[in-house]
This record gives sequence, structure tokens and C-alpha cells, in this order.
Amino acid sequence: MLKSTLIMLAAMAAAPVLAAITGRVKAWLAGRRGPDWTLNYATLAKLLRKTPVYSRSTTYVFRLGPLVGLATILAALAFLPIAGRPPIFSFAGDVVFVFYLLGLGRFFVVAAALDTASPFEGMGAAREALFGTLAEATVFMVLFLLQQTHGGMSLATYLAATTAGPGMNGAALVLAVIALFMILLTENSRVPVDDPTTHLELTMIHEVMILDHSGPDLAMIEMGGWLKLLFYATFIADIACPFRGGPGDYLLYILALLVIYGGIGLVESITARFRMSLVPKFILTSFALAFFALIFTMEMPG
Amino acid sequence: MSHCADICLALIFLSVLLGMAANRLMELVKIMAFQGTIVSILPVLLEAGQRDAAGLGFMAVMLTVKGLVMPLALYAAIKKVANLREVEPFVGYRASIFSALALVLAAGFIDRTLAPFMPPTHVMLMPASIATIGAGFFLMMARRKAITQVIGYLMLENGIYLTGIALAGETHSQRLLEFGVLLDLLAGVMIMGIIINRINQTFDDVDTGMLGSLRD
Repeated sequence: MLKSTLIMLAAMAAAPVLAAITGRVKAWLAGRRGPDWTLNYATLAKLLRKTPVYSRSTTYVFRLGPLVGLATILAALAFLPIAGRPPIFSFAGDVVFVFYLLGLGRFFVVAAALDTASPFEGMGAAREALFGTLAEATVFMVLFLLQQTHGGMSLATYLAATTAGPGMNGAALVLAVIALFMILLTENSRVPVDDPTTHLELTMIHEVMILDHSGPDLAMIEMGGWLKLLFYATFIADIACPFRGGPGDYLLYILALLVIYGGIGLVESITARFRMSLVPKFILTSFALAFFALIFTMEMPG
Repeated sequence: MSHCADICLALIFLSVLLGMAANRLMELVKIMAFQGTIVSILPVLLEAGQRDAAGLGFMAVMLTVKGLVMPLALYAAIKKVANLREVEPFVGYRASIFSALALVLAAGFIDRTLAPFMPPTHVMLMPASIATIGAGFFLMMARRKAITQVIGYLMLENGIYLTGIALAGETHSQRLLEFGVLLDLLAGVMIMGIIINRINQTFDDVDTGMLGSLRD
């Protein structure tokens, strides 16, 4: 329990610097030097020092958004085995609970955006809600797949090294990892679904929802975003890496994270974002991949 | 080796799916090059694969034609003809993705029915080949442009090649057959290139829908 908590705290502390890897890879591919490694910590420190500004037209819902958003992702991380180590909490059926916790967080962030009554934020909220709903289909297809290969109904049985069953066969694994990576891009509003560096409100999804947040509220949202990215990256790493329970796991885990965060930077450098109408197609493709993976495991058990 | 074959077959399914979902022609050509490459190296990776000099040489030929020559020919054809960017489907992309899912299910079902009459081979080989054939047919029917019909034809051929691998088992007869088909295909792609060029010159577009309204 103590060990799991320490691992989670370490991973949380590393989340901002991991997010910086993506920026560095993008800068490197574009021939620039890129932001400093500690930039994200400095941003957090700066935002936390500021006094938040609240519009007179907003209510308590607006203040609740960032808080619930951060709290739910923290709770979800506590259920996720990191580097194959057992998580802090676990119970049968927590897979559904964890992903609906993330859904709850999304609901409150969306509600906060709607509470400002800004038409831009309403637009972003509508997109976030739609794409999140579609992405859920893929996530649950992957969970079906894990249920087929590992049995049980908790993330600990699916992803922790100690209880891992026979595991997936290589083919299904490839498809599932690609599908999950597409979901990672969608859920964290990265290119090709959303462009985190865009400056035009009309084309934003995530950034436009948080336009009115400031100071510590914005810090909570930023931290929540990095943790969410960490959550999905860890999920993929846990599926893809054959953790054995030894000390080598941590090295393997960090390596996998580097590959995933670097991969995001690579994807962002070589692809343009989709037209908004093509995003559902992208998410449906990931659903189909997860579905294929499920068929693969059912046709070729073991 | 069997592990590599598993992954190859998964990648074939992936290429089928991406091909159904592709909305840019260049994307589709890249997917075809990818699929051609995977399909060509698959026979060597299979458990009963032929890893002798003849087998490897055959693979090299297939790899050049399927992975390099034909995609380049398609690429040249697309570059030559103006306003060839979008695929322009008759059946929408989302419906296409769901059709791909239905195809894979159907392929699994057909494989179950056929299994008693087939030589023993990799479990996923027949479903993959049936799905690829189906996807090739689908692309030929559901896309408007002449060039997508060529691409559908190529995907169909990839599927037939996979079926050939599954049926041949230990014998080498499939190579003779495949060389013949390959030659036909190459000629076909070349002729198609010329025809597309002609359609483009006459109508300033390569929309085959226009051919349906021809009058004297």
C-alpha cells in the first residue's frame, strides 16, 4: 500500500516533465530548441500564485469544474497499476468505476464551460462531450478484450504483473495498442483530433473550454490534463510491456512512457489535424481496431 | 516465426480497415503499398513457409511489384490527373467502417464453414484473405473514382494471393499461378492508367458516375 502510494506520487510528480517530452520532440523535429524541461513546473507555480478571476455571470458550478476534474483523475490513478505494481485501491468491477470517474470529471469540466454562457465554450463543450462518448466505445471494447484474456473485472487483474494471466497474443496486442493510442490522442485533445497550440477559438476543443479559468483553477486543469495523459500512457504501457515483478520493470515502464510521449510528438509533427467532421471517423476506426483485436483473441485463444 | 505471422495478419486486417476508412487518395495508395509489402513477406513467416532460395527469390519479386512498382504507378497516375485528392465515396466512411466490421465477422463465419475442406494452415489466414477480397470488392463498388476501382482490384488480388497461400500448403504450384495473375495485374494497372487519363481528358474529371449519363 505504502509502496503503491509512493510510486503513484512519483509518477504524478513526473507527469509535467513527461508532458514536456512531447514538446521537445516536436521542437526537435521542427529544428528548434524547444521549451525548458522545467517549464511546466514554472507554469504551475506561476498560476498557483495568482488570484483567480470569476465572471459575475458564473455560479459555483464554474468553480467546481477544475476541482472535480482534478479529483476524479487522481482517484482514477489510484486504481491503475503503475509499472505492473498493484494499485492503491482495487475491487471487482472497478474497471467500469474508473472510466466513469473520468466521465464524471469530463461532465463537470463541460458543465463549468457551459456555465460561463460563452458561445465558444459551449461549442467546445459539445465537441468534448461527443468525442468523449464515442471514445468510450473503444475503451470498453478494449476492456472486453482484457476480460477475455485475463478474466476478472478489475484493473489490477488486467494490468498488474503478479496476477497477469496467459496474456494477449501478439496480433491482438498490436491492434489494441494502436486503438488505445488513438484514444489517448482523442481523450487528451492532441493532434489530429485537436491542436493544443491553436490560436483560433472556432477550431478548439479542450482549450476553448478553459478560456475563462484563471490562476489556481487553470493550474488544476493543466495538472489534470497532464495526469490524464499519464493515465492513458500508463494504461498502454501496462498492456504492452511484459512486466515480471522485478526491479527491471521500472526501467521498462519509463522506456515505454518515453516511447509513447515521443510518439505523440512525432504524430503531432507529421500529421495535420482533421476537419472536425472527420474526427468521429477516426474514433470509429479505433473502435473497429479494438473489435478486430477481440475477434482475434476469440478465434485464437492463448 | 509464428508470432511474426500473427502480427503480419493483424497488420493485414489493419490495412483493410484503414483502406475502408481512407478519405485521401494518397493515403489509400500508401495503405496499398503497406498491404502489398506485408502480403508479400507473409509466406516466408508462416510456420509451413518456404524459406529456401526459391521462396525468398519469389518474395523479392512480389515485394518489388506489390510494394514498389504498383504503388508508384498509382502515384504517377494520381499526380498526372488534376483534382484527384478526395476518394468521393458512394457509401460514407462511417458506414464503410461498419461494413469492414461486418466483413470480418462474415469472413470468420465463412472460414468456419470452409475449414473441414481446407489444408491445415494458420488459423487467421483464411479469414484475413476473405476479408481482404471482400474489402477489395467493396472499394470497387463503393467509391466513385476510376482510380479507386483499380485500388480495389489490387486489394482483391492481395486477397486472392492470401487464399493461394492458404490453399497451396506445401506445393509450389501457387507461384506459377501468382506470376500469371501478377502479369495480368501489371498490364491492368497500366491500361487503367491510360483509360483514366483519357476519361480525364474528355470530361476534365475522373468521376465514373458521369459515364452513366453518356448519350450519342
